[in-house]
Amino acid sequence: MSDDGGLWLLALGPAGAAGLYWALYRHYRNTDKSHAFERETRIEAKPVTGSERDRKVDEIKGTRQSRIRGDNLRAYRTRVQRIRSDSS
Amino acid sequence: MSNASTPPPAPPHGPGSPQDVPPEPGSFPLDPATLPDAIREEIEAPDPVAIDTASEELKDGLNHCPKCGSTDIRHKPGSDLLICLYCRNEWHGQRIEEAFGLGEGIDQLRGTVISSGARDIAADAASLMTFKCGGCGAEVTVNTQNAMTARCHWCRHVFGVNEQIENGAVPDAVLPFHIRKDDAVARIRQFVDKRRLFALKEFKEEFTPENVVGVYLPYMVIDANAAADIAGHGEIETRRYTRGSGNNKKTYYDADVYRVERHVDFTVDDLTLESSAERGNLDTRVNTNNIINTILPFDTKNAVKWNASYLVGFSSEKRDRNVDHLRPRLEDQLLSIARAQVESSVRRYDRGVRWEQERLDVHGTRWVSMYLPVWLYSYHQPGRNGGMLHYIAVNGRTGETMGSVPVQQWKLLTAALTVGTVLEGIALWILGNSA
Repeated sequence: MSDDGGLWLLALGPAGAAGLYWALYRHYRNTDKSHAFERETRIEAKPVTGSERDRKVDEIKGTRQSRIRGDNLRAYRTRVQRIRSDSS
Repeated sequence: MSNASTPPPAPPHGPGSPQDVPPEPGSFPLDPATLPDAIREEIEAPDPVAIDTASEELKDGLNHCPKCGSTDIRHKPGSDLLICLYCRNEWHGQRIEEAFGLGEGIDQLRGTVISSGARDIAADAASLMTFKCGGCGAEVTVNTQNAMTARCHWCRHVFGVNEQIENGAVPDAVLPFHIRKDDAVARIRQFVDKRRLFALKEFKEEFTPENVVGVYLPYMVIDANAAADIAGHGEIETRRYTRGSGNNKKTYYDADVYRVERHVDFTVDDLTLESSAERGNLDTRVNTNNIINTILPFDTKNAVKWNASYLVGFSSEKRDRNVDHLRPRLEDQLLSIARAQVESSVRRYDRGVRWEQERLDVHGTRWVSMYLPVWLYSYHQPGRNGGMLHYIAVNGRTGETMGSVPVQQWKLLTAALTVGTVLEGIALWILGNSA
């Protein structure tokens, strides 16, 4: 049993090497940077509406996932299915 | 040693992408305190300071006298000059914001309003313009692809392209350079000094920031009035418990699933998009244009009406994208903004939200074309497919600096593998001792 608890330690070396590589690579090349227009533009928004219509549709029992599957709350730039209306 | 069997870190074409929401400025994914001293010192060195354009001093929309800094500025009657009542300094420039009433009534915008300088580019418009010199009668040609002024080589008279022509070269407004060249050079040097340890040897040897070039790049500055509807599912944790014992302990969760819908009406003031096809392409595998994108925003509120005299001594790039080309990108950014706006309204879903559908209604947009000032330093790294052009860019107004420094792969890999080996050694030691 104690093998199981200790084996993940073996991943420390490769994970540390890869992590340092990527971190330094980004520090030099800045490939992950872009204009953060979401927070650097003057935006005036009216209060967000719709929370009163939230309704419970299901229950999950005994999942081992700590977050919802496909969580994209903070991935603002990941587009999801676009509904187009003709009357806009 | 134990690393020899593990594959080397993924290939060197860039983690992250401009499609990801960028990290907070100055953040570093690892805790620098855990790194070797030499690396840590580099990372913790200060970044070039950028003026916050959202700062109060610019928000009030004051224009300062370039000579004395006073704001006691009046229009000089009967001319296009501005005059500083404190030091009597006179200069050109009317802020386009006031001249055209931009920045007002964005929430009333309907349809697409396009300023004269943002009109579609005529297909047959040439970029070469020829003037007859008023001084001596010679013919002078201006190539509007990269310049907006020229000097008559006979009588030294200076020409500027001031009337709007249909090739897209003349914008509505220009934001003059504020950051001087020596200031830009210092910022580039400071930026690179933070990134020397693993930089490409040739880059370091050829590094001459004095070669930085001041360029006016073409942008569309857009005001938009829009509404968005976003729908998806959110989960709230109701119970958390563990089963099993000892090392077999596993955590389980119970959750309620909710259908979530949100609506937000919003206006965006001065969203800035590259209006050049080349600059708008932010593919980090083939170019470093994301660097130039990162130094946005500019204080576009202070842009002045077009006058070619501002461009004397600087080069410029011509606009080649029309409003219709840029509309998909605008809508994409508006949706991103909407998603950022609704985030705070779904805090109660502590297991997160999965957005599944989104809808955007753009009620109105207003497009203004501008030349914005950028100091550009470039280094060409030879390689496959023509190599890579690395930019270091300084915002000509705020001084915000961003750049791409080519890395010496073998050095970086060696450092990573060394650190990995040390960590692996520690891991093996712990395992060996506990067995």
